[in-house]
Amino acid sequence: MNELTDQFSIADVITKDLINLDLKAQNKEDAIIELSQMLLDNGIINSVDAFSKDVFGREKEGMTGLGQGTAIPHGKSDSVIKTSLAIGRTNRPIKWESLDEKPVNIIILFAVRNTDANTVHIKLLQRVAMLLADEDFIHHLHTVESKDKMLELLSKEPAE
Amino acid sequence: MKIIGVAACTSGIAHTYIAKEKIVKAAQALGHTATIETQGTIGTEDELTPEEIKAADVVIIAADIKIGGRERFKGKKIVEVPTSMVIKAPKGLIKKIEEELKK
Repeated sequence: MNELTDQFSIADVITKDLINLDLKAQNKEDAIIELSQMLLDNGIINSVDAFSKDVFGREKEGMTGLGQGTAIPHGKSDSVIKTSLAIGRTNRPIKWESLDEKPVNIIILFAVRNTDANTVHIKLLQRVAMLLADEDFIHHLHTVESKDKMLELLSKEPAE
Repeated sequence: MKIIGVAACTSGIAHTYIAKEKIVKAAQALGHTATIETQGTIGTEDELTPEEIKAADVVIIAADIKIGGRERFKGKKIVEVPTSMVIKAPKGLIKKIEEELKK
């Protein structure tokens, strides 16, 4: 894992432009659309409709709410140009199918290319997933005050 | 106890890796060791070795899909659960296995 971060950084899959700590959405559908729009605006996907359709398709297969107010919707889709993340935080918790049956306000949307020859980006996404196994990390997701701090948090090494 | 296992989820992007970390962390916290293979969208990583399988006391299969290479665990004590269960209550699962193995 260390080899990976020596050569690549989390900046390869997420930038400040892909973080919105003031998401307007008040329901799950709007949140996914709002984040997808952000991906489109940054050239990560080529269609909000096609991408969000794949994300909603994945939602039907099983819950993506991890508990502690955090959800990780994801779409592996032909509409993805570059495997990336988008992160949104809402002021008010929104209803989401979650392991602890509680609403969420941190949404980490994973956008993955359907056929990604470049496994590095997927591995960087995996690292973020591994961080989500840490309760302290999730706590910090709720409290970081700026996009810079959020990026800093995401650059952490998953503790083995 | 020596825990080994395989994690695999529907799209092989996120839950697989969260499940792996949760098992490893919970095992460590409870004084055990855990080695978990992941079968994700980019293939198998941290593949279990025949030695690891031989030495294991229990195999946790945390999967939402059919895993590859299940026959490797023939004759072993296998616990099969969905990834959601491992993500939600990893320590509870390991404690339950501890009790089962005592019987």
